Amino acid sequence: MMETELTEDIDQPLRDRLKAHPGPALLWGAGLCLLLLLEGPTYLDGLLGAIGFGLGLLPGAPGAEAFASASAFFSELPHLLSRELIPNRGYYDGSAWQGTFLGLEPKYAWLIRFLLVYAYVAVLLGWLWYGYVTFRRHYRAADWTPTDDVIDRLRSHYWGLFGLAVVVFFITMAAFAPVVGPTTAEENIQGPYSHDMQYYDADTETVETITIGEANLGSASRGSGDSNVGIWSYDDFGRFHPVGTLVSGKDLFTFLAFGARVSLFIGLGSMAIAGFIATTLALVTAYYKGVADLIVVLTSDSVQAMPALLLVILATVVFKNHWIAELYNGAMLFILLFALIRWPGLWRAVRGPALQVGEQEWVDAAKSYGQRPTVIMRKHMAPYILGYLLVYASLTLGGVIISVSALSFLGLGITAPTPEWGRAINIGQQYIASQSWHISLIPGILITLVVTGFNALSDGIRDAIDPQSEGAEGGAAGAAAGGGGG
Amino acid sequence: MSESVVDTVSHQTGETLVDVQDLKTYYEDGGLLGSDPVKAVDGVNFEIARGETFGLVGESGCGKTTLGRTLIQLETATSGAVSFDGTDITELSGGDLKEWRRNAQMVFQDPESSLNDRMTVGEIIREPLDVHEQGTARERREKVRTLLDQVGLMPEHYYRYPHQFSGGQRQRIGIARALALEPEFVVLDEPVSALDVSVQAQILNLLEELQEEFGLTYLFIAHDLSVVRHICDRVGVMYLGNLMEVGPTEQLFQSPENPYTRALLSAIPEPDPTVQVDRITLPGSPPSPRDPPEGCPFATRCPVRIRPEDIDASDAVWDRIREFRDVIRERSRAEQSVGERLKERLGFDTALADSEEIVEEEFDDVTLPPDVQEHVEQAATYLSDGDPDAARAYLREVFGGQCDTETPQYYDVDDRQMSFCHRHAQEHVSPGEELRQRGYDTHDG
Repeated sequence: MMETELTEDIDQPLRDRLKAHPGPALLWGAGLCLLLLLEGPTYLDGLLGAIGFGLGLLPGAPGAEAFASASAFFSELPHLLSRELIPNRGYYDGSAWQGTFLGLEPKYAWLIRFLLVYAYVAVLLGWLWYGYVTFRRHYRAADWTPTDDVIDRLRSHYWGLFGLAVVVFFITMAAFAPVVGPTTAEENIQGPYSHDMQYYDADTETVETITIGEANLGSASRGSGDSNVGIWSYDDFGRFHPVGTLVSGKDLFTFLAFGARVSLFIGLGSMAIAGFIATTLALVTAYYKGVADLIVVLTSDSVQAMPALLLVILATVVFKNHWIAELYNGAMLFILLFALIRWPGLWRAVRGPALQVGEQEWVDAAKSYGQRPTVIMRKHMAPYILGYLLVYASLTLGGVIISVSALSFLGLGITAPTPEWGRAINIGQQYIASQSWHISLIPGILITLVVTGFNALSDGIRDAIDPQSEGAEGGAAGAAAGGGGG
Repeated sequence: MSESVVDTVSHQTGETLVDVQDLKTYYEDGGLLGSDPVKAVDGVNFEIARGETFGLVGESGCGKTTLGRTLIQLETATSGAVSFDGTDITELSGGDLKEWRRNAQMVFQDPESSLNDRMTVGEIIREPLDVHEQGTARERREKVRTLLDQVGLMPEHYYRYPHQFSGGQRQRIGIARALALEPEFVVLDEPVSALDVSVQAQILNLLEELQEEFGLTYLFIAHDLSVVRHICDRVGVMYLGNLMEVGPTEQLFQSPENPYTRALLSAIPEPDPTVQVDRITLPGSPPSPRDPPEGCPFATRCPVRIRPEDIDASDAVWDRIREFRDVIRERSRAEQSVGERLKERLGFDTALADSEEIVEEEFDDVTLPPDVQEHVEQAATYLSDGDPDAARAYLREVFGGQCDTETPQYYDVDDRQMSFCHRHAQEHVSPGEELRQRGYDTHDG
C-alpha cells in the first residue's frame, strides 16, 4: 500500500522525530544545561533540602540527616548567583571599599547581584519559551492545537502580561530570597548576635569588629531624631539598605524577600489544595448530579456561612501548641485553613462550566463505548474547567495573601521572627507620619502590587481561554452559542 | 424521491437483532418531593431485523432520541426489555455491560458537540479501541487510519483537531468513532439534521455504503421525512412516547393508516404548486409527557376521535368541547404557588377561578344542545370551586369515548404494517373513512 509509508512517517513517536532531526533540540538542550549548571548547586541544595525536610517530618526521620548534609554540601559549591561571587558587604577604610565586589560601593555591588538574578530568570524563561517554539516548529505532530490560540491571545493581552511580569518578579524574589537581599535572614534576622561584622570607625580610623545585633541597634528606624535609615541609604556601619531598616534595625529588603516566600508558600499551597478539592467536587457533581450535587451545595453553603476570619483566629488559638502549628512557623496551618475556607468559592466558580461540559455529547459518546467515569471526568471534562479554575484561583490567591498579612498585622499570623509583610506593616504603623514611613508603606505597596498582578494575570488567562467573555456583546454571543447546543 | 429508495433486502436476513418489548423510560426529577416523572418512552414494542435500517420519526420531544439512547443503554429503562441477539441488555451491568457496548454504538446529532475539541482526531477515534484494549498501540493507530480512509478522510488527518474540520467532516469523524469497535448495531440520532443539504446526501450515501460493507443494522432517528423515506427500510412513527404506527417505508408513506401518521405525512410540502393539498392541521400542542392522557396518547388532538354515542352534537360543538377540555387540562396542570393555595383555602378568589369567562369565550358563538350545556355548566361549577381536577375528570367521563379510557392495541392493518388506534377494530369506522366523513381530504382512495 502506498499509504503505509506515509503512515509510518507520521506515526513516529517523539523520540524518533527527535532522532531524525536533532539539530534544534540539541542546541536548545545544550543551552538549557548551561543555564542550569550555572545555578546547579542552588537547585540541588533546594531539592535535597526539601526532601530532607519532608523526611524529617516522618517518625524517626529516616535519612533526613543524609539529605541535610548533602544539601549543605551543595550549598557550599560555587555558582553564579551567590553572595560569595558578588559580595556587597565590606567596609570603607578611608580610601577604598574593602571586601566588596571589585571594590565597588556596596550599593552597586548589591544592585549588580540583584539585576543579575532577574537577568538570569529572564534568560531562563526566554529559553524555555524558545524551547516551546522549537518543539512547536520542528517536533510536534500536530500543526495546530487549540492551546496555540490561547497562547497567542495571551501574548497580545498587555494587562495580562503586566500581571505575569509582576507575578514572575514576586516569585523570583521569593525563590532567590537568600541572594537578592543585601544580607541574609540567618545573620540579620534569626541570629544577629551570633554573627560578627567589621566596620570602619572614622573617629579612631580603625577597623572594628562588632556583632550584627549591636550594629542593628545603631541602624534602627524609629521615626525621630537621628535614628532613621531610610530608602536607598547606608547606615553608620557601612551597610546598604535599599528600602531602609525596620524598627529593630534589621534590613527591610531582606525581610520582604523572605516574607514573599511565606506569602507565596501559603497562597500557592492553599490554592493547590482548594483547587484540587473544588475540581474533584465540580466534576463529581456535574457527572452524577442529583444527591451528590445537593450534598456538596449544602456543605459549601455551610462552610461559606462561617465567619472566616473568626474561624482562623479561633484555629490559631486552638492549635497553638499542636505540632501542626510548628510547621514553617504556622504557615502549614494557614495553608490548611485557607484551603478549607476557600474551596467553596472555587467550586461555585467552576461548577457552572463543569455542568455545561457534562452535557456535551462527547461525554455521552464516551459513556456509550464504556469509558470509566473517572477517565471521562479527567479526560473529557477536566480540561474544560481547569482554565476557569486558574482564573479564580489566582484571583483568590490575592485574597489569601491579604488575609495572611491582615492576621500578621493583628499579631495572630506567622510567628516571629519568620518575616511576614503584614507584620512589617503592623510594626511600622505608628511611624507612618514620621521619617520612618517606609516601614509600613513599602510592604503595603508590595502587597497591593502583587494582588493586582495576580488579578491582572487571571484577567489575561480568562480572556485568552474564552475570548467571548470580553465585553457584553461577546457575552450575549456566548450565551447564544451555549443555548444552541440542544 | 421514491425511485431512489435503496434496495437493502440483499443483506437482510430477516432474523431479529433487536427486540423491544413494552419498553418504558421515565425521567425522574431527582427532587425530594417526588413529582411526576417525564414519561419520555411509555411502552414501546417493535423489532429490528439484522441488516435493516429502521427509521424513527416524530415531532420534537416525542421521545425518539430517548428511545435510541435507551437501546444503547445510555439511559436506564424504567421497565420492559430490550433483547439484543437474545440477551436482555437492560439487565446487564458492570463488566458484561461494558463488553456488550462494543456491539452497539451511536452517531450523535450535533457534530459540534459530539467531538472533544481538545483531542486530536486520531485520539478521538482511537479511544473506544483503547477502552476495550484491542491489539497493540501500533495496531490501534493502524486501525484508526483505515477507519479515516473508510469514512472518506485522509490518514494524515490523524493529528488534526476537530476545529479544523467542517460540519460534514466532523460527522465523518463521529461515524468513524462509532465504527471503531465494529459494532453490529448503530443508532443514528438525526445524523444529518445539523448539516447543509448538500452535505446531507454525502453523509447518507456514506452511511449506506458502510452498512453494505459491514452488514450494519441501523436505527435511524429523524424528523426529516424525506431523509427517512430515502434511507429506511421500515419506519416507526412516534408520538408522546408511544409508537403509533410501524410499517415498511414505502407502504407507510403511500398508505398511512393511523390518524397521527396521516397528519404527519400531510405536512410534507408538495413540490408542485398547482396541486391542492388539504393539510390535516392538528389543534393544540402535544400534552405534557409528565401527564399524558389516559387511553390513547393522541386522543387530545385526534381529528377522528371516537365520540360517545349518547351525545348528539355538531362537529363545531365537538371542536369547542375539545378546546374547552384543553383549557381545563392546562388549568389542572398549572402549578399553584403556596400563596395561591393558601388564598384558596382561606376563601379568597384566586386568579384561576374565572370559570364563567372561559365558558363564555369558548361557547360564545355556538348553540349547545341542552345536555352538553348542562355538562359544561357542571364543569364550570367545579372550576369556580377551585377544583380543576374534578372538572377535568367530569368532562372526561361525560364527553370521553373509548379513546379517552382504553389504551388501544396494535392492529395489523396491512402486510407488516401495524397501527395503534381503536378505529381499526371491527366495530368502528376506519380512520380514513372517518376523516373523509368529517370533511378532510385523504389521499388514499
